Amino acid sequence: MVKQQEHDQHPAMHPSRRTVIKSAAGAAALGATGALGTFSELAFAQANLRAEITKIPGVGKGAPTDADWQKVGELCLGPTKASIKEGEFKGVELSFMGLNNQNLHNLLFRGFLKPWEAYTGAKISWIDLAQADYNPRLQQAIATGTVDFDILEMGAPFEGDVCGKGLASEMPDWVKKQIDIDDYVAYLKPPVGTWNGKTYRVTIDGDCHNFNYRTDVFSDATLAKAWKDAGNTSEWGMPKTWQQVQAVTKFLKGQKFKGQSVYGYLDAPKPWGGFGFYFLGSRATAYAKHPDDKAWLFDIDTMKPRINNPAWVRAIQDVIDALPSEPADQLNADPNTTGFQQFLAGIGSMIPWWGDIGQVAKASDTSVIGDTVGFDILPGSDDVYNSKTGKWDKLPSGPNHAPNCAYLGWGIYVMARVNGDEKKHKAAWSAAAHLGGKDLSLWTVMYPSGFQVHRTSHSHIDEWVAAGYDRKYITSYLNSQFNSYNHPNRAVEPRIPGIFQYYSIAEDELTKIFSGKIDAQTGANNIAAAWEKLTDQLGRERQIGLYKASFGA
Amino acid sequence: MKRAMRRRATVGRILIGLASLVFLLVLVVQVLHAAGAIAAGFSTWRPILIVYLLWAIAFGTAQVLMRGERGQRALFLLPAVFFTVAVVIFPTIFGLYIASLDWNLSSIEGPHFSGLDNVRAMLSDAYYWNALSNMVFYSVAVLGEYAIAFALALLLSAEIRARKFFRVVFLLPMMLSPVAVSWMIGKSLLEYRFGPAATLARYLGWDNPAFFASPWMARFTIQAMDAWVSIPFIMIILLAGLQAMPKEVQEAAKVDGANGWQSFWHVTFPIMLPVSITVLIIRIIFKLKLADIVINVTAGGPGGATDTVSSFIYRVYRDRSNVGYGTALAMVYLLLIIVLLTLMLRLSKRWTQRVT
Repeated sequence: MVKQQEHDQHPAMHPSRRTVIKSAAGAAALGATGALGTFSELAFAQANLRAEITKIPGVGKGAPTDADWQKVGELCLGPTKASIKEGEFKGVELSFMGLNNQNLHNLLFRGFLKPWEAYTGAKISWIDLAQADYNPRLQQAIATGTVDFDILEMGAPFEGDVCGKGLASEMPDWVKKQIDIDDYVAYLKPPVGTWNGKTYRVTIDGDCHNFNYRTDVFSDATLAKAWKDAGNTSEWGMPKTWQQVQAVTKFLKGQKFKGQSVYGYLDAPKPWGGFGFYFLGSRATAYAKHPDDKAWLFDIDTMKPRINNPAWVRAIQDVIDALPSEPADQLNADPNTTGFQQFLAGIGSMIPWWGDIGQVAKASDTSVIGDTVGFDILPGSDDVYNSKTGKWDKLPSGPNHAPNCAYLGWGIYVMARVNGDEKKHKAAWSAAAHLGGKDLSLWTVMYPSGFQVHRTSHSHIDEWVAAGYDRKYITSYLNSQFNSYNHPNRAVEPRIPGIFQYYSIAEDELTKIFSGKIDAQTGANNIAAAWEKLTDQLGRERQIGLYKASFGA
Repeated sequence: MKRAMRRRATVGRILIGLASLVFLLVLVVQVLHAAGAIAAGFSTWRPILIVYLLWAIAFGTAQVLMRGERGQRALFLLPAVFFTVAVVIFPTIFGLYIASLDWNLSSIEGPHFSGLDNVRAMLSDAYYWNALSNMVFYSVAVLGEYAIAFALALLLSAEIRARKFFRVVFLLPMMLSPVAVSWMIGKSLLEYRFGPAATLARYLGWDNPAFFASPWMARFTIQAMDAWVSIPFIMIILLAGLQAMPKEVQEAAKVDGANGWQSFWHVTFPIMLPVSITVLIIRIIFKLKLADIVINVTAGGPGGATDTVSSFIYRVYRDRSNVGYGTALAMVYLLLIIVLLTLMLRLSKRWTQRVT
């Protein structure tokens, strides 16, 4: 079956001078190799386009510039040209709100959309926000009814706040076809991106915590000997369970590697505007997410917090137990520190993080670990807590793994305020579809963009190798990502309103626990009590309803 | 003549009455509209501001009509009064109203009145009390800052070499943004792995120079950073005081045979007391607002050891969108500051009177 993307490519090859010349060149090339059918021509053009854009500027050839973003945007205009006439949106003005983290996100979108603006005639004004300003700005806009943007870059956790309140515009069918929505990886398919059965989101990013480790540390002969000498019966190597992570972290305290102190796992106990909670989550999911139960953070029917159940308390206790074996100032380390100032700088040998570490480890000047980093899904646990029976289960299949699908990635949403104006509605969705285009997405996940793999079509390793990636490295990286996304027991974040408030409250209490002011169970009970209070404040019945909806129930 | 004046006064009174009536009417209509009681009204509150401005103009005009030259003189003051009402008094009253609401931005029901619930919640909020107790430490530490600043001011007012150069150098920290200080000092100089201060500490025999890992160490480090930024401010004001001090008094003390300490303790210090009290009060006001360095360097940790009331309110308001509670905390804190400063001013007045 000809895929929509390929079908859309077909009319795009006729109208403009550029595509005629390109077609002619393609035909000439094909003529040289022999007669091929129309289907093959289209597939060839498609593959050609993907190969062409992924060489802009080429992996390892410096950071892409605005000119590169525009070039990629121009080359990926095919699907837009297929459904929109030139100048069709003349006079339409759209406002776009998004991030400007690390000079990426909105800055890329500007470049990608410039050719789109030139072709369609629409104009876009930009609201750029720093990560820290994002949540409050969005919350204020929602609460005060001052939504002053037509297109929004937003993470799925906010879908409860935005889609649940009817502020977003439902995705038209033509957009679903244009972006080939079926190509999304399983965990980003509905219910993610949907609310009450309606689709709202153009996914441009996939997020999960994978496990990053140092291959040189875990293959070092001296450390292997010391490990055996310490009385360990297992082989020295990358830990596969949290029990092993704990053992290795305690063992590595005081050990030397290449003449320097070596550390094991790095925790991130310092609050990070709510985002730090994901890192406790990564330690907890293997204990707390039972394969027979969708929920792991709250009970489904009552929203009773599970944060103080034995599984979560065990994860918190693990942090307490591991901290003395971590660097002396670890209490003041947030995830930014563990990822970018410690792990990439050669300190510590294991951390959970989003895919950024793998994207940056080889490409950034700040990284000293380059080739010595390996990737896997998060460690498992020998036993998993069963909330229904209140007992720890040992699964016949072996350790329980539950990758933490933290944040669920960024998406593009169109706001309901464009619904009254047909032209504006079409223009906004066309812009969103352009940014979420299948081919363009391949470029964003290969280059620094702030976005990671999120489509099945991103798993073709040959495309990555052709762009300049090392096969072994990229295979390990992509496997860690896709095996997390597609894991049958993945722990998917609840998309309920105020989710970051729950996290922020927890962070405050966790810092008290980690600094030794209170014990794990007392602290966890405090978090649970504060969460209950927050649920009541936000409206328990409604929260329960939305929580269920976020599971697609 | 008198009749004309009376007529003008009547016109003035009518003008005020009419303008006030219109203002009240529009306000009531808009409040009812906003409450959903009536359909008529404006989509935004901006027209209320315009009506307020028109009312202020009418009020000013009426003053001239009613009171002649005295009214004209009032025109110099009235704009400032109306401006203060609009941007200080009204927002404060409105803030008290917000403080009485249960309003979380994520709540679909929106704000609803909860009376003193927020204040009651505050009374049992361990984080608020912890932050308040930290503020006691930070405020007491101002005395230390003052002592250092006084010493520096004495040094810079003495006849030393390169006095002007040192005056500028000592002022530099004050010119830095606390956020820049947070990054330059807190996150770079004091950085555990590569920070020069940590390296020096290791060289001096401190194995694990973690400046923010234990509660008291973190508290002292934050205080030291804030002091580094603020001491120049105290110093410059004390220096101005020292320079304004009549030289004869010092000379008389010298003639009477007072040594350095005696002439400082019995002459300079008492004379400087009013300046000292002023600068201490200003400094404590600033200190009570301490937030930026804490938010950037420790986020209030470890375990709330460095948390300040402002950084806690920041988290409640910004990270948790808890507008009603956050405002209530801020309002209570404002009241606490006002009471504290009033008491301090009273005491200091009594004290300075006794000393002088």
